[in-house]
Amino acid sequence: MTNYYNDVYIKDKYSLLASKKYNPVVIPNVNKIIEDYYMGEKSIELAESKYQEITIKYLKNKYKKIDLIISGDLQNQILSSTLASSKFKLPTLGIYSACASFIEGIIIASSIINNNKCNIIVSTSSHNLVSEKQFRFPVEYGAVRKRVNTCTASGSVSAIITNEKSNIKIESSTIGFITQTNHRDANDMGSAMAPSCAEVLNMHLKNTNRSIDYYDLILTGDLGEYGLKIMKRYFKIINGKSLNNVIDSGNIFYKDKNIYAGASGPACLPLVFFDYIIPKKKYKKILLIGTGSMHSVTSTNLKVPIPSISHAIGLEVNC
Amino acid sequence: MKNEEYDKLIKEIVVEDNIVGNIIISFFSGGLIGLIGEIISNFIFKNFNTTLSDSYMITFMIFIFIGSLLTGLGFFDKILSVCKCGLIVPSTGFANTMTSSAMDTRSEGFIKGIGSSIFKLTGSIILYGIVFGIIFGFIRGMLL
Repeated sequence: MTNYYNDVYIKDKYSLLASKKYNPVVIPNVNKIIEDYYMGEKSIELAESKYQEITIKYLKNKYKKIDLIISGDLQNQILSSTLASSKFKLPTLGIYSACASFIEGIIIASSIINNNKCNIIVSTSSHNLVSEKQFRFPVEYGAVRKRVNTCTASGSVSAIITNEKSNIKIESSTIGFITQTNHRDANDMGSAMAPSCAEVLNMHLKNTNRSIDYYDLILTGDLGEYGLKIMKRYFKIINGKSLNNVIDSGNIFYKDKNIYAGASGPACLPLVFFDYIIPKKKYKKILLIGTGSMHSVTSTNLKVPIPSISHAIGLEVNC
Repeated sequence: MKNEEYDKLIKEIVVEDNIVGNIIISFFSGGLIGLIGEIISNFIFKNFNTTLSDSYMITFMIFIFIGSLLTGLGFFDKILSVCKCGLIVPSTGFANTMTSSAMDTRSEGFIKGIGSSIFKLTGSIILYGIVFGIIFGFIRGMLL
């Protein structure tokens, strides 16, 4: 499903990076860096909610009139979003589509704003240790990493979406469908997410009657090194054209050499977009595709093929 | 695209881990741990007044202590990324599994956190260790 929006803008953002491990590309531009996995809290789960609270609080103090918070994260029952929003006494929507949560939030916010004037905060967070504990093994457990494993980025990003004119205009969005292949390996999320990413990109281009060259940049979520290659090949098979203007935020997130195939997590895409792509001032028309692998520990144990979802939003950046 | 075709596409692009290399590294690192264990147990057997089986037991406990300590200090997973499975198969791996589960759930309390989760990963090792111990013990008793 593709929607068009008239005057919906991303007015401001506040980003927080919680780990400098492997030297992320966003370090020079990120609003705040806290190298602390605990933030004085009892557990890492509560620390993640603190990250999100900091980013929402900044935007709330700056813009005062906030009508709604839409937030999502990777924890069970989106605990950290709920805890963070509980501090503000504002209407809240909690969403979950794994690493595509931020884009899903923006799509919901844009659809609401398109019809009535309001300010909506879209927020997301991820925490390396929480994801390790939740989806993989205990943090200190010495599991041998595969080459396809991704390393969850720690941090939080909140953005305020309004009717008021600003540099970043949201002009269209496409909601993707859930794809499922035979792929069952939860270590390799890139291969699970690549088909849904290619399908939503294909659907967006088809629905809007645009060619790939219409966009200066297609920024995908967290496919990683191998997932990006698979996505390009898959897209070529279903669409017939090859992709050249695509960057994967997970793939470029870490500058230092490491054992992983890239970064992942819901905070990865917004961090790269706001703090690496926008400051470059090089791209005018950008398509953001959030990719989410919707597996859980139960689905992995049941050996269900991994379902995955992607959503896309078209942006016009003017700076 | 059909699922089988997609599987083929993944296989083409994703670079497989070097399993043979990992096995060779594990063989030597595991052997090294065994050698160290043998030296320690021989040392205990010769210098302290113990039986041979007691000295093995003490060595076992020393390894569990070292494994837990390194896990607690956060070094174990770093050493393991170099040594591969050579560290998991001996008792150090067992200690690492239990300690890491306990550390993860410490914040959830002693009963519902540590108490219920410490055997989360090791439970299957213990259960099937006992089951196969019984089966093979039975076979041994029947044959000998």
